[in-house]
Amino acid sequence: MIRLLAAALLVLSSCSNSPEKARQNEPAAPKDTAYAVFTVEIKGMKFVPDSIVARKGDRVIFVNRDLVPHCVTELDSKAWTSHIIPPGEDYMHVVDSSSNYYCAIHKVMKGKIRVKE
Amino acid sequence: MSKKIMSWAYCAMAASLFLSTNASAQSTPKLSDPEIASVAVVANQNDIGFAGIAQKHSKNADILNFAKTMATDHKAVIDQAVALVKRLGVTPKDNAVSKKMLADAEKTNASLRTKSGKAFDKAYIDNEVAYHKAVISAVEGVLIPQAQNAELKALLEKVDPILKTHLEHAEMVQSSLK
Repeated sequence: MIRLLAAALLVLSSCSNSPEKARQNEPAAPKDTAYAVFTVEIKGMKFVPDSIVARKGDRVIFVNRDLVPHCVTELDSKAWTSHIIPPGEDYMHVVDSSSNYYCAIHKVMKGKIRVKE
Repeated sequence: MSKKIMSWAYCAMAASLFLSTNASAQSTPKLSDPEIASVAVVANQNDIGFAGIAQKHSKNADILNFAKTMATDHKAVIDQAVALVKRLGVTPKDNAVSKKMLADAEKTNASLRTKSGKAFDKAYIDNEVAYHKAVISAVEGVLIPQAQNAELKALLEKVDPILKTHLEHAEMVQSSLK
């Protein structure tokens, strides 16, 4: 199962900006692992892109390409957080609800995830 | 020192740092890459110094968090700058600009150490706003345009948005203290 999950992740990661296409290109993955993977780059002190529309269960990978540490934290109730993401490292968030998020280290950096049904 | 006076002082500082005082022909100084590297390191060290004082003198959570971020981020930038100059075989070279920045920071440090409580918090964050404005002006107006080495120029270009985010964050904290 772990191997299947990893395979699904690899297939979908290669199409991270095209989740619908990723779903079509996933013949080997069982239905319960049919999630899309989005990549948000943290670069130039911004979340790029800063807005994503996803489905429940989709993955969002935040990749820190800046020189300084960042984090990704749910803004309104701190429901989830990445903790510190050092430069060059990443964090994966599993989407379960719409969220506004921010970097708690650099509080002016913000983004959002919207869940579509 | 009031916010207006502090801002004026840093505008004057920026002008004095990056403009010659020759009355007949004011111009920006010409800096070599080793001198630019020195200015960049000193600019970051200064802000780490301010942050260290804030961590000892303030009890305000927003100030303490901001100071922690300044210490972490500016150390990260210094580490990158040091790694780059080592790779390039360049030794940062002291110059009139870096010496002036260091001397001015020592005066600011001395002034901050005399304060406590809300007066300290206000002085610290006012200084952070003014200092970041001055450094952004220097990076964009002098250091990036004059850097010859492409990697040094690229590093400075990557640092610029960090400084701008710090400024925006400092202004947010500054507003919250009013």
